[in-house]
Amino acid sequence: MPQLFKKVLVANRGEIAVRVLRACKTLGIRTITIYSTADRYAVHTLMGDESVEIGPPPPLESYLCIDKIIFAAKKTGAEAIHPGYGFLAENPEFSRACRDNGIVFIGPSPESIRLMGNKVESRIKMANAGVPLIPGMKAAGNHLDEFKKVAAEAGYPVLIKAAAGGGGKGMRVVQKPEELQVAVEGARREAKSAFGDDTVYLEKYIISPRHIEFQVLADSHGQTVHLFERECSIQRRHQKIVEETPSTALTPELRDRMGSAAVAVAQAADYTNAGTVEFLLDPSGKFYFLEMNTRVQVEHPITEMVVGIDLVAEQIRIASGFPMSPHFGNPAQHGHAIECRIYAEDAGNNFMPSIGKILLYREPTGPEVRVDSGVTEGSEVTIDYDPILAKLIVWGETRDYARARMIKALHEYKILGIRHSIRYLADVVAHPKFASGETYTDFIPKNFADWNDGVLDNVEFALAAAAVMQANKKGKGVGGNGSAGRVDFNPWLTIGNWRIGEGAR
Amino acid sequence: MIYEFIHNGDLQKVELEDNRKAVINGGARTIEIDYSPNGRLYIIENGVRREVCVAVNGDKTFVDIDGVLYEFTQPRDDVGGSSGGSGHAADPSKVFAPMPGKIVKLMVGLGDKVEPKQHLVIVEAMKMENIIVAHGTGTVKAINFSEGQQCDTETPLVELEAAE
Repeated sequence: MPQLFKKVLVANRGEIAVRVLRACKTLGIRTITIYSTADRYAVHTLMGDESVEIGPPPPLESYLCIDKIIFAAKKTGAEAIHPGYGFLAENPEFSRACRDNGIVFIGPSPESIRLMGNKVESRIKMANAGVPLIPGMKAAGNHLDEFKKVAAEAGYPVLIKAAAGGGGKGMRVVQKPEELQVAVEGARREAKSAFGDDTVYLEKYIISPRHIEFQVLADSHGQTVHLFERECSIQRRHQKIVEETPSTALTPELRDRMGSAAVAVAQAADYTNAGTVEFLLDPSGKFYFLEMNTRVQVEHPITEMVVGIDLVAEQIRIASGFPMSPHFGNPAQHGHAIECRIYAEDAGNNFMPSIGKILLYREPTGPEVRVDSGVTEGSEVTIDYDPILAKLIVWGETRDYARARMIKALHEYKILGIRHSIRYLADVVAHPKFASGETYTDFIPKNFADWNDGVLDNVEFALAAAAVMQANKKGKGVGGNGSAGRVDFNPWLTIGNWRIGEGAR
Repeated sequence: MIYEFIHNGDLQKVELEDNRKAVINGGARTIEIDYSPNGRLYIIENGVRREVCVAVNGDKTFVDIDGVLYEFTQPRDDVGGSSGGSGHAADPSKVFAPMPGKIVKLMVGLGDKVEPKQHLVIVEAMKMENIIVAHGTGTVKAINFSEGQQCDTETPLVELEAAE
């Protein structure tokens, strides 16, 4: 008879650590948090029933230290570890180290992680499983004739890519057969100069693709399901910033076929727990497997809100040995959800990372508004970690309702002390092309190449307000906006209700 | 009562009457701000009120109006300029990194003529590469770091001779 873990260690920080901690608390599980010295008073650190310091700020000396984390788990008696996303979440060595030390890794096996992390091996395995791949070479090409042959089979336009690296170097789009030779030679030269390796290969070039991913979930009793799609085409420099579900591009029939393909991928990888299968969808309705992410993803909340589930709690239950909860067996999509990622980046200045202390923090609230945040008033944003502060997720009965609710929520969301992307996101979601669902991966470069934050329009009002604040500050001796403006951070205000010694039975 | 702030390198003067009526840089219009008992501030314009969020930390004041963010610094008495990061913006001939990081690539060399918004240096910080651009026209007269070096926020990355 399976039993829920009594103690789980959350091997992460910020918003995802908070998310996992909430799921643990929902299940009545005692929680252990880990923190670097930079995170001593972080929201996630103080939410744990116990917390263990694991090193100085640099991730290589703290959150990426497998030994220190395993040691912390053993010291506190944690039976399982949830890795979150990023850091060690997709590191097969970490998954293996947990297993070797008798600790349950809340995620798939080290073998599944390793397989799907190897882009070449996983493509071969998926091809054998009958999953559609982007047509092209399986390995690098040597003779121009090979390129000609594969290009003819795949159909133009095609893409020449460098094998040794990315970032657009050694890449050429070829529209016609006559241009192929020049493109291959040019790509080779560029690749040689950028990576010291002129090996290139060829793939079909998908024009105006949409990035559609499917959430999959598998238990250790043989059941694998998909929980529908997420559309992640709004990206800036290949970083997702807005995600939504359902995708406006999918018909019920296409959704069914892609969902089945996602399940086939998970089964071919012998997968357990939560994962995401990524596809590229071309305008003609053909889809191709891109890769699989063997972890819970940043954008999982939109799936949770549309399907009506707690994915992270289910991850923990599955890892404890329970079969999948019955309501996962017959999932349905209801309404529409959108997520905006809030980054500590100066959207008005080339998205420069911003650091500093959060002086004022006010989350939007109201029906169907959810905020997954790793910060609060008084939090220090430092250079050491990924600049994601929080995620704002809204649900609506229809896509238009969700959109309107998101714009309203973004306008309500106030963070002062650092630069962030909230206003930029409001403009993105309000854009007519977003409203009409024209969300291809070139949405940002096409529509937001030159975004202006409108700083000059209201600068006089801002100055006036600053002066009034100074005038009143002198009288009251308080800095900031009302009682919330206290600059000294009080960690007791962020823990929430607690009792000494209380935890899981 | 006069309050001074530096915004994007420029000194701004706010004359305040009754702690609520503001005139900026001797301009024609009066802006009315209400500081309510709960600490929230409101712009009052033609009988309509709009909230404005303000927070202060030391000599820096942060403001949010409709999601647009402002950062003002109080001038220091001695120099008339300001300390810290935003003080660097006052002098476009000195280009600073916004935070400590690693110099990934120098895009210009000594003697190069640069235009506003031209890419000068790529600095890696917070796991991302950031392009540092010029804010004025000029000729590169000094480059104080080499590729691969760690940079701080106090030493200019690049110094320009203003063009004439």
